[in-house]
Amino acid sequence: MKSPIRLERRLEQPKWLNWAIPLISLVAALILGAIVLLATGKNPWDVYFRIFERGFAGTRALSGSLKTATPLAFTGLCAAVAFRMGLINIGGEGQLYMGAVGAAGVGIALDGQPTGVVVVAMCLAGMLCGALYAAIVGVLRAKFNTNEIITSLMLNYIASIFLSYLIYNSTSYWRDPVSKNFPAGKPIADRAEWNFFEFAGIKIPLAFFIAIIAAVAVSVLYKRTRFGFEVGVIADSPKAARYAGIRTSSTIILVLALSGALAGLGGAADVGNFRQLLDGKGLQMSGYGYTGIVVAALARLNPITTVVVAVLIGGLTNAGFALQGPDFPSGLVGTLQGLILFTAVAGEILIKYRIKANRRVTTAVAA
Amino acid sequence: MKRMTKGKFVPVLLTAALGFGLVACGGDDSSTSTEAPAGSEAPEGSEARASAYMATGDPMDNFTPWADIPDSGTESPVVDCAPEEGPLKAAWVYVGPTNDGGWTQTHDEGRLAVQEALGDAVETTYKENVPEGPQVVQTVEDLIADGNTVIFGTSFGFQDAFVEVAAAHPDVCFEFATGYLSAPNLSQFYGGAEDTDYLAGMAAGAASATGKLAYLASFPIPEVVRGVNAWTLGAQSVNPDATVKVVWLNTWFNPAEERKAAEALIAEGYDVLGMKGIDSPSTGDAALAAGIPWAGYNRDNSANYGDVWLTATSYHWEAYLIPRLQQILDGTWTAGNYYGNLSDGFLTLATYGSLVSDETYATIEARLVELAAAPGSEFTGPITDNQGNEVLADGVAHTFGELMSMSYLVAGVDGEIPAS
Amino acid sequence: MGLETAIKMTGIVKKFPGVIANDHVNLDINFGEVHALLGENGAGKSTLSNILTGLYRPDDGSVEIAGTKVEFNSPRDALNAGIGMVHQHFRLVSTFTVAENVVLGESDSSLFMDQKAVAARVKELSDRYGLAVDPSARIWQLSVGEQQRVEILKVLYRGARVLILDEPTAVLTPIETTELFKTLRAMVAEGRTVIFISHKLDEVMAVSDRVTVLRGGRNVGTVNTRESSTRDLASLMVGRSVEFTRVQREVPAEARSIILNVTDISARDDRGGIALQSVSLTVGRGEIVGIAGVAGNGQRELAEVISGMRAMTSGSISVQGEKVQSGKARSAIAKGIAHVPEDRLHTGLASSHSVEDNLALKNYRTMSRFRILKRKSIRAQSTDLIERYDIKTPGSQTPVRLLSGGNVQKVLLAREFSALPKVLIAASPTRGLDVGAIETVRERLVQAADNGVGVLLISEDLDEIMSLADRILVMYEGRIVDEVPAEGADRERIGLTMGGIKL
Repeated sequence: MKSPIRLERRLEQPKWLNWAIPLISLVAALILGAIVLLATGKNPWDVYFRIFERGFAGTRALSGSLKTATPLAFTGLCAAVAFRMGLINIGGEGQLYMGAVGAAGVGIALDGQPTGVVVVAMCLAGMLCGALYAAIVGVLRAKFNTNEIITSLMLNYIASIFLSYLIYNSTSYWRDPVSKNFPAGKPIADRAEWNFFEFAGIKIPLAFFIAIIAAVAVSVLYKRTRFGFEVGVIADSPKAARYAGIRTSSTIILVLALSGALAGLGGAADVGNFRQLLDGKGLQMSGYGYTGIVVAALARLNPITTVVVAVLIGGLTNAGFALQGPDFPSGLVGTLQGLILFTAVAGEILIKYRIKANRRVTTAVAA
Repeated sequence: MKRMTKGKFVPVLLTAALGFGLVACGGDDSSTSTEAPAGSEAPEGSEARASAYMATGDPMDNFTPWADIPDSGTESPVVDCAPEEGPLKAAWVYVGPTNDGGWTQTHDEGRLAVQEALGDAVETTYKENVPEGPQVVQTVEDLIADGNTVIFGTSFGFQDAFVEVAAAHPDVCFEFATGYLSAPNLSQFYGGAEDTDYLAGMAAGAASATGKLAYLASFPIPEVVRGVNAWTLGAQSVNPDATVKVVWLNTWFNPAEERKAAEALIAEGYDVLGMKGIDSPSTGDAALAAGIPWAGYNRDNSANYGDVWLTATSYHWEAYLIPRLQQILDGTWTAGNYYGNLSDGFLTLATYGSLVSDETYATIEARLVELAAAPGSEFTGPITDNQGNEVLADGVAHTFGELMSMSYLVAGVDGEIPAS
Repeated sequence: MGLETAIKMTGIVKKFPGVIANDHVNLDINFGEVHALLGENGAGKSTLSNILTGLYRPDDGSVEIAGTKVEFNSPRDALNAGIGMVHQHFRLVSTFTVAENVVLGESDSSLFMDQKAVAARVKELSDRYGLAVDPSARIWQLSVGEQQRVEILKVLYRGARVLILDEPTAVLTPIETTELFKTLRAMVAEGRTVIFISHKLDEVMAVSDRVTVLRGGRNVGTVNTRESSTRDLASLMVGRSVEFTRVQREVPAEARSIILNVTDISARDDRGGIALQSVSLTVGRGEIVGIAGVAGNGQRELAEVISGMRAMTSGSISVQGEKVQSGKARSAIAKGIAHVPEDRLHTGLASSHSVEDNLALKNYRTMSRFRILKRKSIRAQSTDLIERYDIKTPGSQTPVRLLSGGNVQKVLLAREFSALPKVLIAASPTRGLDVGAIETVRERLVQAADNGVGVLLISEDLDEIMSLADRILVMYEGRIVDEVPAEGADRERIGLTMGGIKL
């Protein structure tokens, strides 16, 4: 059967497509969304205005969006770093949990130390735990050629059960011994609490600045260093890497460890900047790790763009809560958000391919 | 509503009417959502039937302002959060979806009952599927920005966020279910489901041929542990050799996991299922598929689980919500703690399924009256834990504080509370 | 032989950014002829055949088939019009049978194919044209030559009357080439048309009826083969006359001093089978040692083991007495072993990377401080090498995959030669290149040897080995089976030993 259209790979990708396609995608998303909204009896203009208002307009909306965006920036970087080398690390979720476990442990233990010391120690602990957890995936991939998609996904489940165990199923160091009614994490020391900085009325979490620094660092690492060069060659052609004497196995492990460290840093940020304790349930409900994959994909794996996209998704998420109510079910909000993400990714395809109409050929000289 | 039983009327509404002088609610939707009393109709065997008990207590008798609770350390001034004009805007923040068939749905049914009862005087809204975390503050702030002046929170994990926002908005009333923190404008409300759990356990114990029952529980925390123990004691009261296998699911809401666990227990040969602290009725789906009796939790699901339904603890948040919102309208609202029970209509025992025999029905109904009069009295000695240690000597009962921090499992429970 | 015009292309123009690939090309091809398309890499042959097979649409000009104007939107349209392409790189599913591959992608094939009918039709076609292949064999079991026959059968099965073969002999042994030519003649005898794309002048002379020579995107002439000569065609193609003779050079006296010593090495192939069995060889300073053999007899593995890309299971390798670590490319690079692999675009180069990055692929480590790359140095090296090795590229940032074949090879050679190696392993260094580029590559190899580099030249092109090497080793089934001096070597003897005949 012949489809009326087909995709043809572009030999070259004109530069203007890089900004035109996302723009067209956005417009397409808004039009598609409007159709859905009209079909459900809503005024698209009002809805879009409210998304903008509650996601991005004003200091309170922006402050909220940055809060939601911060962990997503870290998990987005986690995905981008690994995907850039063709390693599909789905484990940002679990690596973030592990980072949160490490950072919360340090945050509790360093009660009484100066804030600066605790914040740095929490970051390091979060990164270390995330890195070690992701390194398991790396070692399995590098030494036994195990599919990293499966191992990283499985480790998410293990991390999730481990987290539940620490808070609900044991009297671990992380559990608050005096928590009433429901088990909860032990709060970190007051001085371990990370700051918010206010600019023009917008409260920016310290962790957001750390995310920007991390994004710049990753960007420099991949663009300017020997390590980045090696990662690029491996991604392009593993054979060429072998030919050039690049140690593929150790690079795989290192890249995954770096990826995990970024997710782990996100976990530290979650504990230090937002929850101030290891949250057994809330972390799992948030699903930062999985959303981070979407963020990285939309950012085309560019570290700096990842932070920007995280803010957009953060705003969209918050606006989603503002939208829903008795006459606007959360399912419709999800549909709308999904539509926007879907068209964005579909637009991505148009940068690489072009659509051509299939026309029938009338002449034939076949024997 | 689906639980409506035709031609019967309703105790809670009567209670509400008695308690707060609300009248003229005959066609109220909430009336149909609670169990109809047998009234003049005599219960018949093998027929689903409602409890005959009529709650007559005033829910506000079970409410104590913070100022009257010595260790709360919180003042409870009158907070005027009613708008100068227009309807009182009230909002609920839910952790799950409003159609979860359990916890969140009972809360939303409470909200709808409020809307029905107070009519144009209130305007209600909600946010569902809100994850516990940094978004909660933002969500509540958004609600306040939209003009809501009473905010209800229904998940423990929202508590810190509610305390934070309450401090920032002293002129907004906050009502929180399942928490413990206090503030001059933050109230706590919940109730003693252990009594109804005990009664449901009686139905389960009577329904078991083998005496081997299984119980799906969320987390090994005092509230749920009380449920496990009460349910077990209830089962043993009618079936002395009954044992209860308890499985900790470590989740509040995960329908797929819940069903899997239930199926595994059924496969192991347990012949009656019960549950506590789980927000969805998917355990019932497994029971229905296997055709074994099931005692539910949260709400009356008798209509959907026909032949396997026994009975269940059923929450009626509106018993508390309606008078409280009326207080706001009247300008008399203060913050405090509410712990409801059978006697004030906050808790009821859901419709008895057809599996409950006439004899068992009569036994449970009699016990219900006793427990309504003396909440928590099912925990009266002699009680030994499942390690063989005596917990309560003959005739001794638990204090309220001991109930609230229960951390042992009674003899006959096959399971353990993870290392404590 | 009919004289009816099968294909008439008029004024074909196809532009790519910065390049005019086809510049008003006119081409007439008759039914019943083998028409050769000759030209250097980048002359526009591939673009022209891609237009004919519906992969590209021309910017201008028209295509007529049997007198009717056509416009193709896809290869399927072209196939429907009776034009089929046999690509240089096969498009076969290796786990499927021959018959399954033949019907694969048939537009109206039903869910369950009639195995017997297909097999019968495949058998009939293969008998008719001498394309011996078992319809029930699986592709992975077949030799490269047999796989090519499957590709031809696929096109014939779909009823193509015009077959385009892109460099069909590149992968074939001399005997297989002779058989292919018989098949092509049989097809044209039946009135079909063959368009034969090649660089190899003697093959074009041997098989074609007419030759069209392309240069710089233009048609520089169509001639009757019988009225032309190798020399004529070569000068048409490169615009100057080219001599093919044995390179005469003095083997330096120091050639006796061994620079590369390979002792008793054995290794496995990618599937774990034995690829090399106790191979020993030496290369002296300034010496060119040729390894002849039919592809797949361990040559690739030999090159990989010496360059450290593949671990050996036993044996040892040393450069000037210093041992090279098994399976450590970095060790080989450090000891001065340069390697021009057969698979340039995916092994020798990171093809999506820029020219600049590829030129630094082996020495980027030295061009960094505190592990930060010194981009300026890398850029300077690139500018220098582009100039010195005459690499035609829009810039040093251009991805190498966008360069023409000859320039891709120049990038590789520039990098390997500029590292001043002691030993150079060159695997099929001229394969797929045009005459001009071949000449450059050969000059570079000789120049390297003259400068004292020990060159190990691995090639399936016997002419190349015979014209460049000082000494020839023949490989067969993972062993060195013969060694002869190149001067006055007996072609027949080498051909026999390559084919596994023991002398």
